[in-house]
Amino acid sequence: MRLTALRLHNVRRFAGSGIAVEGIGDGVNVLCAANEYGKSTCFDALHALFFQPHTGTASPIQSLRPYSGGSPLVEADIATADGRFRISKQFYAGRRATVTDLGSGRLVAQADEAERFIAALVRGGTAGPAGLLWVRQGNTGLDKRSKGEDDETRARESILSSVQGEVEAITGGRRMETVRARCEEELGKLVTATGRPKAGGPYLAAMEERDRLAVEEQRLAEEVRRLRAALDRRRAARARLTEIDRPEETAERLSALKAAEAELAQAKARQDALRAARAEAELAARHADAARSTLDAFAAAADRLAGLSPRLAAGNAQRDAAREQQRVAIAAGEEAARVVEAAEREEREARELLGRLDKALRAREAAERLAAQRQTLEAAEAARAEIERIEAALKALSLPDDAVKRIEAMEADIAARRAAMSARAPVLRMRYRDGATGAVRLDGTPLPEGERALAGSVDLDIDGIGTLTLRVPREEAGAAELATAEAKHRALLASLGLESLAEAYQRQEALRQHATDLALARQRLALLVPNGLAALREEITRLAGENAEKLELKGDPVAARLALDAAGLRVEAARIAAREQQPRRMQADSRLIESEATLHALQSEREALIATLGPEPEREARHAALRDTFTQAQRRAGDTQQHVEELTGGIELTDAEARVLRLRSIVDAAREEAGRLRVELAALNSEIGIRADEAVEEAWAEVREALEAAQARVERFTREVATLTRLDAALEAARSAAHEHYFKPVMRELQPLLGLLFEDATVTFDEATLTPRSVRRNGLDERVDVLSGGMREQLAVLTRLAFARLLAENGEPAPVILDDALVYSDDDRIERMFDALHRQARQQQIIVFSCRQRAFQRLGGHALQPIPWAPER
Amino acid sequence: MFRFVHSSDLHIGKRFGNMPEELRGRLREARHMALERLAREARATGAGTILLAGDSFDTETPSPAMLRQALSAMAGAPLRWIVLPGNHDSLLADDLWAAAQGALPDNVHLALTPEPLLFDGAAILSAPCTTRRPGRDLTEWMDDAATADGVIRIGLAHGPVQSFSEDGVGADVIAPNRPARAGLDYLALGDWHGQMRIGERCWYSGAPEPDRFKHDQPGRALLVSIAAPGAPADVAPIETGSFDWRTVPLDLLSGDDAVAALARALPAAAMRRHALLRISASGRTSPAMRSALEQAVAREAPEFGLLELDMDGLATDCEAGDLDAIDRAGALRQAAEALLAESNDEARSSAEREVASSALLRLFSYCEALRA
Repeated sequence: MRLTALRLHNVRRFAGSGIAVEGIGDGVNVLCAANEYGKSTCFDALHALFFQPHTGTASPIQSLRPYSGGSPLVEADIATADGRFRISKQFYAGRRATVTDLGSGRLVAQADEAERFIAALVRGGTAGPAGLLWVRQGNTGLDKRSKGEDDETRARESILSSVQGEVEAITGGRRMETVRARCEEELGKLVTATGRPKAGGPYLAAMEERDRLAVEEQRLAEEVRRLRAALDRRRAARARLTEIDRPEETAERLSALKAAEAELAQAKARQDALRAARAEAELAARHADAARSTLDAFAAAADRLAGLSPRLAAGNAQRDAAREQQRVAIAAGEEAARVVEAAEREEREARELLGRLDKALRAREAAERLAAQRQTLEAAEAARAEIERIEAALKALSLPDDAVKRIEAMEADIAARRAAMSARAPVLRMRYRDGATGAVRLDGTPLPEGERALAGSVDLDIDGIGTLTLRVPREEAGAAELATAEAKHRALLASLGLESLAEAYQRQEALRQHATDLALARQRLALLVPNGLAALREEITRLAGENAEKLELKGDPVAARLALDAAGLRVEAARIAAREQQPRRMQADSRLIESEATLHALQSEREALIATLGPEPEREARHAALRDTFTQAQRRAGDTQQHVEELTGGIELTDAEARVLRLRSIVDAAREEAGRLRVELAALNSEIGIRADEAVEEAWAEVREALEAAQARVERFTREVATLTRLDAALEAARSAAHEHYFKPVMRELQPLLGLLFEDATVTFDEATLTPRSVRRNGLDERVDVLSGGMREQLAVLTRLAFARLLAENGEPAPVILDDALVYSDDDRIERMFDALHRQARQQQIIVFSCRQRAFQRLGGHALQPIPWAPER
Repeated sequence: MFRFVHSSDLHIGKRFGNMPEELRGRLREARHMALERLAREARATGAGTILLAGDSFDTETPSPAMLRQALSAMAGAPLRWIVLPGNHDSLLADDLWAAAQGALPDNVHLALTPEPLLFDGAAILSAPCTTRRPGRDLTEWMDDAATADGVIRIGLAHGPVQSFSEDGVGADVIAPNRPARAGLDYLALGDWHGQMRIGERCWYSGAPEPDRFKHDQPGRALLVSIAAPGAPADVAPIETGSFDWRTVPLDLLSGDDAVAALARALPAAAMRRHALLRISASGRTSPAMRSALEQAVAREAPEFGLLELDMDGLATDCEAGDLDAIDRAGALRQAAEALLAESNDEARSSAEREVASSALLRLFSYCEALRA
């Protein structure tokens, strides 16, 4: 919506006259005039046109009226998406409201219809703000407070709360807060934040009172119940007591008892007589029974005796037959036993023979073995002697182990020495001329041709020549060592008993021979006696000890064994035969015993019967006597029984006794009960007295009614809490919806404008709340917690601008109307605001009312000029 | 000529626990004072006998003081009091009756047995309640009760003449034609607290001092005169009540001025102290009128013994103008509309709708206060 013209007539000082502001355009429009020129009147009239019903007489309307009275008329031309309209309202006398389509000149709506039309213009959507955005002189959304307060001092509001306040002022939130506060205050008196009845609050007090009364009511109800029960019990007790104590009842009880006791005495006497008669009758009956049984026994005995003779004869015959049978069986048994015995004897003999044969055989074997062992012993002893001999020889011939080697070494040494000596000794060589052989003799002996050693002095007789003596000096040292060696040699040989080395060799050979022989001899002995001689000798001794006499062998052991087996089979057969005889024997025995027992029984019976019946001749008489006795006894029994029957009948003693007991107990019980009832009554009386004096029933009724009232009171509070809770919830929902719907978007719109508030500063915003957090000015961060009054009014203007922008974006452009909205702002700041206004006005209609002509000259924009106006008649 | 005062249901000792504390004592005292007023009326009208047809006492065990004070109030010639046990003070209350007998003034007779009580040429045939619920017509014996010729026969009984129970065969109901069947000249009944004529010779006297809103009658008794046996009974109501219990209907139409209607309905200022009024508002009204009515009642209440306002039957219509009174736009208006929608939402339970409705009314009154 845009405003294009405003006209008013008969408003305030324009009594009987009017002014018009025509040609209001887009962008910034400024109506700048001195105070009381009519600027505020225009503003108020415009406000009333849009927001006051034409039928109303509220103070804003009253204030429009001239002092002289009359009916204010306000008219505005507007342009909307639907077209151009003129809306007009006249208040008081001739009140009317009309909407005219300026295009067609047609009356679109009037009266309430017109109001609705106007309301639709200024009412936005959800909790919407007015279609006109107002900022009044120095007024922000926050100043519903005392006007006297210094604006600067109360202006210490944060941007957040300021913007919030502005938004709420636009969306009706300030009243909402008041209403909510009231609602919450009232709710807070009743319940806690969590909705529970509040301690010390009237709601909880009412509940407690109700609960207290409920408890009290229960208690009194119980008291009353007890009282009534006690009354009932007392009434019953009294009735019962009266009944018991009535004299005729007592007398009746006593006389009944007396009668019953008399009856009891009578019954007792009759009972005694009856008992005696019964005993007598019983005795008689028993006699009769005895007589009858004696008689019956006699007759029976006679009958049985008669029938006994043939059975006796049969019994005798049976017994004899059994006896014969037994005899035969015995004979057969004995024969069988004999056969068994014979067979056993044969078997025994056969076994003995076989035993003897075995023994002879074993003895012969032992004798043979003894002879063999003796031979072996001899051989073994011979072998042993041989061993001993060889061992002795060995011992004699034995040489030390190294003896031969030592002799060999010595002889080699001696030979070496001799050779050395002879090499050094002068040699005598003789070669004969032919024919001169033997011509030289040595020591008498011809000197053979050849060479020989010379030692000492040698005399050579040379035939024909003489004796040549050769004297060779003795090599003394070598000769002495040789002699020593030879002496040792000789001594060694002598110690060994040897003549020479050759002999030593012989002895070595002989020793080897003897060792071989010894091994052979030992082997032989070991073969003969593997367990040693001692064991052999022991065995021989044992064998010799056994009775190794040689027995003559009679018969063949194999035949004997066969005979024994045959005898065994015969014994077995005989035994089986004998066993077969046994059952027969037993059967015969038992049959005999049985028949004898039968016979014996028959005989005893017969004897007994005879004893019973007595001697034969007296029997008939005795029978008759017994019959008589029985008849008499029977008669007597009948008589006594009749006597008993005469006495039977009348009152039973037990009945009479029971009756007496019963009546007596009635009398006693009545007395006891009366006593008990009196005690109970006393107790009940005092109980009832106490309760009745307290008038518990009245108290109960009172408390019951009070409880109902308390319950109703609690319910009223419950309803009240529900109502307030519901209201609070509805208010909160509406408030937060409005907040959600406008606050954030407005904040967003506001952001770019906020920078204008702060000189040379950059503003940072809180992401979550979209509120300015800090201002960076001259390189320093300042928190923007508080705002000055000037800033606040600027903020109010900016908020409206932001709102307007928001509405314009939503396709509902709304004019922003400022009535001296910037009174606290300095010129510099005002210029900034002017810039903002102009920037905003590119999309928006802004109408500025101001009396600050000079300051607002710089605002620029479209200047509006009021002109006199009178409505067309 | 036999002239007597017929009354019943004094319920002496009743404590009125559901009433405000300061009123209880007065109401209780008024019950006791009814005895004096009955005596005064009897003396003024020349009646020699006062018949109390049951429920003279509220409970079977009134406090001894209460009983003695009642008996003292009855003492004094030339009046004769005949006191019948009713269902509240039946014969089961043996303590009560024994104590009464123990302190009985000469001119007071307790009708404790169903037998004729003879004096002044009249026979009083009493049917005392044997228990709280006797379960049979106790007046039956009167049919066969013989009295001398020329004696005026007066029946005295306590109980309903109509059975309200579904399966009731009327066993515990007093036959309304008992006067005819038993040849009674008059049957004095008690139990019903409102005065009521059952037949030419059969009346409920009603309570001399009302104790509830039910009957909308002042406290009354009956003055009965019978010239001779068989003569018509001359029955005249006499006023005996001190407190006026009344339900005042206030039928409103949309647009009616409820406050003016209330002013018209309220009694004159002088009567108010003894008036217990229940304003029963019904019909339709606007939120503004509703709160105006509430305020008016609150304003007037202190003058009354009791002044209650019952608006259960009063529907409140919220119209656009009423919502405008809350706010023309904005969040408050939004909340009001949400509550109005909820209160008219048929899909919701009636309890929820009532809560929403009363929340809306509350919002209205807050805004009202804000505007003032």
